[in-house]
Amino acid sequence: MTGGGLILVVEDSEEDTEAIQRALSRSHPSLDLEFAPRSEDVLPRLLAPAARTPDLLLLDLNMPGTDGLTLLSSLRAHPACASLTVVVFTSSTASAEEDACYAAGADSYIYKPVNFELFQTVLQGAVDFWLPGATDDSADASVTAAPPAAPPA
Amino acid sequence: MVDDDTWSGALHRLWQAASRAEEVSALADDVYAPLLATPGVHLVVGTRWDEYRTLRYMRALGADGDAPVIVATARSMPGAASREPDGAPVVTRSPAGELDDAAWPEAEFLRESPGASVVACTFRLDRNGWAGLSVAVDASADTESVARRLEQAVDVIVACHTGILQRGREARRSADDALLAEASLQMDSSLDVEDTLRRVARIAVPAVADGCLVHLLRKDGPEFVAATHVAVQQQRALEETGRDDPWLAALLVRRDDGDQALFLSGAALDGSPFAASGPAGAGRHPTVVSVSTLHARGRVVGSITFIYQRPADRLPDSTFLDSLATRAALAIDNALLYELRRHAVLSLQEHLLPSRLPAAAGWDLSASYEVGDPMLDVGGDFYDAVPRPDGSIALLIGDVCGRGAEAAALTGLARHTLRTLLEEGTAPGTALSRLNRSLRQEGASRFLTAVVVTMTPRTDGTVLLTTCSAGHPRPLVLRADGSIGEVVSGGLLLGILDDVSYESHEDFLAPGDTLVLFTDGLTESREADGTYFESVLPGRLSALRGSEAAQVAESLARQARAFRASGQDDIALLVARWNGITHSEGLLPLETMLEQAALR
Repeated sequence: MTGGGLILVVEDSEEDTEAIQRALSRSHPSLDLEFAPRSEDVLPRLLAPAARTPDLLLLDLNMPGTDGLTLLSSLRAHPACASLTVVVFTSSTASAEEDACYAAGADSYIYKPVNFELFQTVLQGAVDFWLPGATDDSADASVTAAPPAAPPA
Repeated sequence: MVDDDTWSGALHRLWQAASRAEEVSALADDVYAPLLATPGVHLVVGTRWDEYRTLRYMRALGADGDAPVIVATARSMPGAASREPDGAPVVTRSPAGELDDAAWPEAEFLRESPGASVVACTFRLDRNGWAGLSVAVDASADTESVARRLEQAVDVIVACHTGILQRGREARRSADDALLAEASLQMDSSLDVEDTLRRVARIAVPAVADGCLVHLLRKDGPEFVAATHVAVQQQRALEETGRDDPWLAALLVRRDDGDQALFLSGAALDGSPFAASGPAGAGRHPTVVSVSTLHARGRVVGSITFIYQRPADRLPDSTFLDSLATRAALAIDNALLYELRRHAVLSLQEHLLPSRLPAAAGWDLSASYEVGDPMLDVGGDFYDAVPRPDGSIALLIGDVCGRGAEAAALTGLARHTLRTLLEEGTAPGTALSRLNRSLRQEGASRFLTAVVVTMTPRTDGTVLLTTCSAGHPRPLVLRADGSIGEVVSGGLLLGILDDVSYESHEDFLAPGDTLVLFTDGLTESREADGTYFESVLPGRLSALRGSEAAQVAESLARQARAFRASGQDDIALLVARWNGITHSEGLLPLETMLEQAALR
């Protein structure tokens, strides 16, 4: 399905990529996801004239080559990417890293849990906050205790 | 019917689709197409409305092969109650022209269809709303059979939806459990109250709420500890609110008796920073605030405030919030207990050690004490430096075997006995013998080691060292040229035999030499491969040639701590550097200078 916005996921781990895909396809089935496993490809992708502009960038910090923090800084240095919403998604709770991300221009710093259901809840919370239009009512049904009614088939 | 087998097959496919579906709308194709294939059926319409009689969704598919028409704009259904069943799904049959639009928004499609009659099944989808599945049929249709098919399709839809809700609830519970487990894990990894609370705030956002504020309740009111928000900009604003907002401060103080989480929204937030017009109140969803109080040690110690800017159905229930608060309170309880104990140990330890070392001309004295045991029992190491009537200075250092209150009592006895005797001018060997006798008379159950060195400056500019040891590691001398000497000494531990005498040994310090006394916590610090710090100590000490006493003491303690992979003994160091006395200072005034120093 399309029409609910586009998230560009910068993530090198196949396992995490799969988990993000699974989680968001449940909580926000109308969202489009695009994956960038190499951080070096992100800036050219964003600057490509014909390419669709993502509504949100989900950024892993521990990447081979250019790490997430460096990528974030170079994104913010580019006027075209200056206003792109960037959510850092990381397994670290170190406050120094959090401060560094905010200093580099992150909009959110989200802790990446191991448990899948919690992972999904955390991702859903972040995406709901930043892309409020991406939640269609039917999608809520998959993870909420008392969801609004889904449309009949 | 000619197509019963086809319908059976379609129903089977529908059940299969239902078992896989993660949202009920995924069943659409498997419901609409086979119903349309039923003889006499021209149009299928699905509708859904909520408990407020508002149409949320409508989808119509005709037999003409066009794409389905979807209506997603909310619309009032004032007459909906007339068709809402209390229990099982209800099937109705009527001419399309007789449908009341106030109850039947699908009538607009059904009336346009070539089929003049309507067969509809209206059913309760979940506790928040109803749904209808209707078809327009012509006179050729077997309405009994069509009704049966509608009921069968509705059965699958309801079962599918119920299953999705159930799985959703399970996933939510599982996420809640995981969050509580994660919170406990994070909180257990710190014994610092504020750090513990900061961790809770970090992992709860955005899983539980969009923002979180944590406060400790002090005697004079709530003290802000941490704020997190899913958006960094709002996090800064939330920090300000947590620190300074009078509305919030008043709320937190008032909440000091509640056990259950308090939820506030709408008018209850008027005048607060979270009100719709306030700085933290603007958002797509009305802001809701919950406050959970934290109870530990039989009183309220703090609070966790969550800020929600999400749909009402995504708010956590109070049972979950109470569980989280209980865990946080328990972690705080542990941390507070640890703080109390640490404070008690440190204050006791302080009383067992001299508050300051004497100052004397020509001498640079310094000491260092590292508490090594993470369990924080009072250690048994002690040291002191005592001016003596003859102008000399006595250094003493010792180590009571074991830790805890009993060891601390002996530590106090040993230090004060030695200090008093040495201050009066008692010779080091006699002082140790008398301490030994006291320990035996007291029936002390522990042994201790100690070494006493008197340092007497002489007219030639050197210092005479007189050393007596009771089983203690030998002091070292760092010569001005960097060479290392050992102060020869040896004698029986204190507290073992009744009558023990201690031999004294003499040595000398030249100006620029440094005498280093220490406890075995220093030498017995071990690297992972088993190497003792003792083996590297001469080299490390030599490298400190020319350093002041304080630097020698602190550097050796730091190096031993960095060196050790095992060994949790306390490390005490007492260092005396002899700088020599200039002519103007003379030798005789030393006693006077000590008195002056004491007066300073």
